[in-house]
Amino acid sequence: MSQFIQLVLNGIAAGSIYALMAMSLVIIYQASAVVNFAQGEMALLTAYLAFLLLEQGLTLPVAFGFSFLFSFFLGAGIEFGILRRARESTVISKMMITIGLEMVFIGLVSWKFGADPKTIDFPFSPYDSLMLGQDIFLSFLEAISILVALVVVITLYLFFRFTPLGIAMKASRQNERAARLMGIRTKRILMITWGISSLVGTIAASLLTPLTMHPYMMWNPLLKGFAAAVLGGMTSLPGALIGGYMIGIIENLFGGYLSIEFKEVVAFAMILLVLCLRPSGLFAHHYVKKV
Amino acid sequence: MKKLLVFWSLFLWTLCGVPLNLMAEEGVTKTKIHIGSWGAQTGPGAPWGAVVRGMDAYFRMINEEGGIHGRKIIFHSFDDGYNPARTLAGVKQLQEGQGMFAYVGGLGTATGMAVVDYLMERKIPRIGPGTASIRWVNPPKRYIFTNYAPYLYEARMLIRYAVERLGKRRIVVIYQNDEYGRGGLRGAQKELQVHQLSLVDAIPVELRDTDMRPHVFRMKQKKADLVLLWVSPSHAIRILGSSKAIRFQPRWLTTSTVSDCSFMYKLSKGLFEGVISAAFVENPMSNSHPLVQKYKKAYQKYAAKNERWGVFYLAGFGFAEPFIEGLKRAGKDLSRESLITAMEEIRNFKGIFAETTYKPFDSLDPRSRQGTDSVFLIECLKDGISKQLTPWIKVQ
Repeated sequence: MSQFIQLVLNGIAAGSIYALMAMSLVIIYQASAVVNFAQGEMALLTAYLAFLLLEQGLTLPVAFGFSFLFSFFLGAGIEFGILRRARESTVISKMMITIGLEMVFIGLVSWKFGADPKTIDFPFSPYDSLMLGQDIFLSFLEAISILVALVVVITLYLFFRFTPLGIAMKASRQNERAARLMGIRTKRILMITWGISSLVGTIAASLLTPLTMHPYMMWNPLLKGFAAAVLGGMTSLPGALIGGYMIGIIENLFGGYLSIEFKEVVAFAMILLVLCLRPSGLFAHHYVKKV
Repeated sequence: MKKLLVFWSLFLWTLCGVPLNLMAEEGVTKTKIHIGSWGAQTGPGAPWGAVVRGMDAYFRMINEEGGIHGRKIIFHSFDDGYNPARTLAGVKQLQEGQGMFAYVGGLGTATGMAVVDYLMERKIPRIGPGTASIRWVNPPKRYIFTNYAPYLYEARMLIRYAVERLGKRRIVVIYQNDEYGRGGLRGAQKELQVHQLSLVDAIPVELRDTDMRPHVFRMKQKKADLVLLWVSPSHAIRILGSSKAIRFQPRWLTTSTVSDCSFMYKLSKGLFEGVISAAFVENPMSNSHPLVQKYKKAYQKYAAKNERWGVFYLAGFGFAEPFIEGLKRAGKDLSRESLITAMEEIRNFKGIFAETTYKPFDSLDPRSRQGTDSVFLIECLKDGISKQLTPWIKVQ
C-alpha cells in the first residue's frame, strides 16, 4: 500500500507542473481560442532571466520578482505588439506565430546561455524530503510544487469570480461584442489575459529551476500540460488542474507497475481515449446551438 | 585562334567549378585541408557539443603553429541537433558543396550511423568518432579509425570494479533507450555473465522524459545495491535527486559521458559525491600533464567568452589528435589513401586519450581500426574534485 501511495504522491507532484502549464494554456485559449505553443519558451526565457539576475548578485526573491513582472509584460507585449498586428488575424495564423516565437525564444536562450545545463540554488535542497509515513516520502520541492499549484488555481478562481477585472475578462470571452457595448475595453483585457497566462507558465518553470535548466527544459512540461488541458476540456481551469494531476498520477502508476517503456505515451493515449469517448474533454461545458 | 581556344577552355573550366589543381585530392589544396564535423549545439544532446568547439580550438592552435606541411586546416562543422536526418543532410551539403577531405569527430551514435554508408561508399575517412559505439569497428571499416574505447568495454570495466572491488551483487542498469544506452547495457550483461551473475533489472529512459520518479521507484523496489547510469547528464541528476528524495541510496557508477566531475557536482548540488565513472580523457584540472596545460592555453586564447573548460571541451582536442598525427606522417603529397596508410602505421601514440595503435586493415580484426580499449576509473569527491581510482586499464 505504501508503494501505491508513494507513486500517487509522486504523480501529484509531477502533475502540479503539468497543471500549471495546462492552466496557462487554458487562460489564453478561453480568451482567444489560440493554443499558445510559445508558452513553454516564454516561461523558459523568464526563468533564465531570473538566473541572469542571480548571477548579477541580486537576491532570490528580487530576481524572481523581476522575472515574474517581466513575464507578465512579455505576455502582454506579445499580444499587443505581435498578435494584434497580424494581418491574417485567423486563429491558425496566430498559432503559427506562436510556433515562430517558440523558435525565436529557444534560439535566444541557447545563444545567450549555451547548452550546458544550469541550476538555481534555493535556500533549501530540492532533494531533501519529508517522511509522511513508513516508506512514504515527499521532497521539499515536490511539496512546494503541490502547494503552489493549489494556491495558483484558488487565486485564479477568486480573481475571475470576484474582482472587477476578472469579471470583465470572463465577460469578454463569453461575448466580446456585448462586453464592448457595456464599456469593457476588450482589447486591453485580452492583453492582460496574455500577461496573466505568461505569469502562470513562469511559475511552473520556476519550480523546475532548482533541478536542472537547459534550453529544452520546457518541452516536456508543455506537451504534458497541453495533454492535461485537452483532457480537462481546454476551457476549464479546474479541468486543467485535474487533468494535470491525472496525467501525473497515471504516468507514475503505469511506470511503477506496468511499463516504464510506454510511460511517456500514456498521456497521449489518454487524450485519444477521452477525445473518442467525450470529445469536449472531461470538464468542459460546450454549448450546443439549435439551428 | 589557338589563344582564343585556350582562353575559352580555361573560362569554361573555371565556370564549371573544376579545380585547376586536378591532381589534388578532394578537399585539399596547396595551402588548405578542408575537414568536416558535426555535433549538437542545440537540443537534448547539446551538453556534449563542447567537443566540436574544443576541436575548433585545437585546429586553430595547429594552424597558428604553422599548419601541417604548410597547409592550414579549414574546419567546417554544423549543428545537427542530435537528429540523424539533419546529420545526413549536413554531411551531404558539406561534401557536395565544398568537398571535405575527411571528417573528424562527429557526435552521436544514431547520427553517425546515418552517414556511415554515405562516407564509406565514397571512401571518405572518418577519424576519431566522438562516440564509443562498437558499430564503427564491428565489423571494421577501412575508412573509420576510432580512439575511444567502446561503451561495451567501459561498462565491462565498471561492472568488474563493482563486483570485484566493491563486492556488489544486486546491480541495476538504467540506460538511455537508444544505441548509446544499449551499448552500456550489453557490456554490463556480458561482464556479469563472466561472474555468473545477472542484472537485477534494466530500466530504459526516454530522451525527452523528465520525470524519473517511476524509474527510481522501480530500482528501490528491486532493492538494488548498485546502479549503473547510462544516461545524459540532466537525467543522471534527476535520477540522483529523485533517489535522495525517497531515501534510496545505492552506490552509483556511470559512463564517461557523465564523467565531468566538477560540473556534475555543482549541478547536482553535491549529490555526485561518491559517484564512480569511467574516464576516457586525462583530467582537465590536471596541473601536471603538459598536453592538458598546452590545450588549456589554446582554450584561453580561442574559446568564446562563456565557454567552460571541462572534460568535453578537452575531449575535442583528443578526438582530433590521431588525425593530426596521421597528416604529419602522410607527408606533403596528401591523399585519402596516403592518410589511411599513415594512420595504419600509428603505434602506441599517446596524447590526452589512451595509448592508440592501429594496424593494416583486416576485415576480421576490429583492432585494426579500434585504436584503444583502455579506460580508467575516477571517483567524484567533495567539491567536485576527481580522484583517479585506477591507471589506464586495457579491457580484455
